[in-house]
Amino acid sequence: MFIMRFTERAYIAYTEADVKNSFRSSVRLTFPNTHFNPELGADLYNEYLDEYQFCEEVGFDGLMLNEHHNTPTCMGAAMNLEAAILARITKRPKIVLLGNPLPIFENPLRLAEELAEIDMISRGRLVSGFVRGTGIESWATNTNPVHNRERFEEAHDLIIKTWTTPGPFRWEGKHYHFRVVNPFERPLQRPHPPIWIPGIGSPETLEWSARHHYPYIYLETDPQVTVQMTELYGKAAAETGYVPGPQNFGYLWRIHVQDTDEKAFEVGKGFLVGNAGIGRVPMPGDFMAPPGYNSREGSKRILEQYKHALKPDALYGGVDAAGWDAVVNSNRVVVGSPKTVIKKIREGLRILRPGILGMWTNDGTISHQDTMRCLQLMKDEVLPAVREMGKELDLPGPFEQAP
Amino acid sequence: MASAEYRECTVNVGDTSIHYLVGGSGTPVVVLHGFDGNPGWLPVYDELARRFTVYAPTHPGFAGSERPPWLESFVDLSRFYLWILQELDLTWTTLLGFSIGGWLAAEIAAMSPATVERLILVDAMGIKPREGEIADIFLHGSEGTRRLAILDPKQVPNYELLFGRKPSTEEREATAINREAAIRYCWKPYMHDPALPFLLPRLHKVPSLIVWGKEDRIVPLESAELYRRALRDAKLELIERCGHLPHLERPAEFLRVVNDFLV
Repeated sequence: MFIMRFTERAYIAYTEADVKNSFRSSVRLTFPNTHFNPELGADLYNEYLDEYQFCEEVGFDGLMLNEHHNTPTCMGAAMNLEAAILARITKRPKIVLLGNPLPIFENPLRLAEELAEIDMISRGRLVSGFVRGTGIESWATNTNPVHNRERFEEAHDLIIKTWTTPGPFRWEGKHYHFRVVNPFERPLQRPHPPIWIPGIGSPETLEWSARHHYPYIYLETDPQVTVQMTELYGKAAAETGYVPGPQNFGYLWRIHVQDTDEKAFEVGKGFLVGNAGIGRVPMPGDFMAPPGYNSREGSKRILEQYKHALKPDALYGGVDAAGWDAVVNSNRVVVGSPKTVIKKIREGLRILRPGILGMWTNDGTISHQDTMRCLQLMKDEVLPAVREMGKELDLPGPFEQAP
Repeated sequence: MASAEYRECTVNVGDTSIHYLVGGSGTPVVVLHGFDGNPGWLPVYDELARRFTVYAPTHPGFAGSERPPWLESFVDLSRFYLWILQELDLTWTTLLGFSIGGWLAAEIAAMSPATVERLILVDAMGIKPREGEIADIFLHGSEGTRRLAILDPKQVPNYELLFGRKPSTEEREATAINREAAIRYCWKPYMHDPALPFLLPRLHKVPSLIVWGKEDRIVPLESAELYRRALRDAKLELIERCGHLPHLERPAEFLRVVNDFLV
């Protein structure tokens, strides 16, 4: 089992009223950056890097980062910079980028160069995840959402060819055109750094990932639906000629541990101001998924495939109605003492059978101090137990068994 | 709401099926719809159909018409439209365009002045104002855009019928298709063609009318003036107390200025 640690690196110094008063009451895209204080930002970036650095000592196999734009919910607007720093200040864990939003890059060759540098500086520890990005990323970079999937696939093909085919060569695609593809610095890992694909289960992306043998990382999706999505991946894999195993799947899960259940329950509430923002004011749907971002065929398949899960679940949208108790009781967020957390993780792993476990240890208003205590308890008690579970449940990660 | 007789037809343009409505008799007037897609046969078309044959095609990619897979940009759309007109045997016609349909009419005319008998641009997108901005209808969303487009819903005849009903599943699907098509063609550069103002003087022999809601909050009046300057000798008619959609918000005034020009 491959165990990685994640946080969105949130900025939280704003109020629910601030969000409500922004254009179309959105915490992303149009939330004015006058609410950002760079002095606090400087402290936060450094604290977040300190935490990731400590995660090597904790024993995590991977340090997972993500990227979003125009939002206080994630300060990783230039994720590759953080990755480059971690590449230099750590020695052992993989640098897991989940992921670079390919469609928004006008020049994917520059991305291929950045990733190659990170791979070399880390001496071959890069895991290069790719994503389509949320609709916000399209808006923020003025990338036409109707071309999102085409650009994702073409940028991917170009980067892989750049890493695996001797240059110089010419690329004349639909969205990208280069007369001399020849980035001089190539990645250290051969044929190229591993590619993982995180997401929330779009059928087209699941099938695409399966066809490429890329592990798919579920971003805290509804467990019941996750099992269905795994079947969809399995079907596409079978058509490609292989049977996927735990090494093909990851699951990202908010898991926060404190010395006692009571304390973890209280501190964990900080997650509620995580990626939905303070006050959980709903975002305009067309900000997250502008017209054309999902193909009409894809949208229909999503509706069909996940019909029963489209009601607001305990984690997204329904949290204010369901309440923190319901979120915790349904294990959509795991909080507790080491003993409680270990028990709950075990239940989840048995059902979902991922070879990659992403532990989203903290977010929102969870303090640096509480986070460091959480990480210490992870080191002392949780991680050793989860490693044993991985063996006992036979959940090999993608570095133990090729996906 | 409709009264005159019109037919619903399709025409094959290459491998692409294009939907259109046609009614009336007389020389042709091709009506080019705005970003919300083909609204169907409108009352103002009835009035025009008394003296003209009114064609109301659905642009490729909007709900009802196919999009050839290569058609991605506004320039592609304009070039393809000349082919559509050719297949409809409209070799010399009046073009009347609303909003992005106005922009489309201007592009088609600039590409092929010999095809255009007369040009009528109504609150047309297409020219970037120098001082103001064309409102971002995509960022405002459908509801926000409607609020911006109509100055006073109370003066819109049939407002409830046009906008007040709960849309059916098919109408919701059509709205999604129309939005997607508008985003595909008009995303970047947003709602304008930097070359257009420099090509329009080519139309100096084409009688042109520019109609603008005086309180258009989507395309500033300044764009109307820029169109007027580029289309030498074009007539500019401003509709008082009116937003972006004069044919819906003040149809009588709209018909008066259009009839004055056409007759």
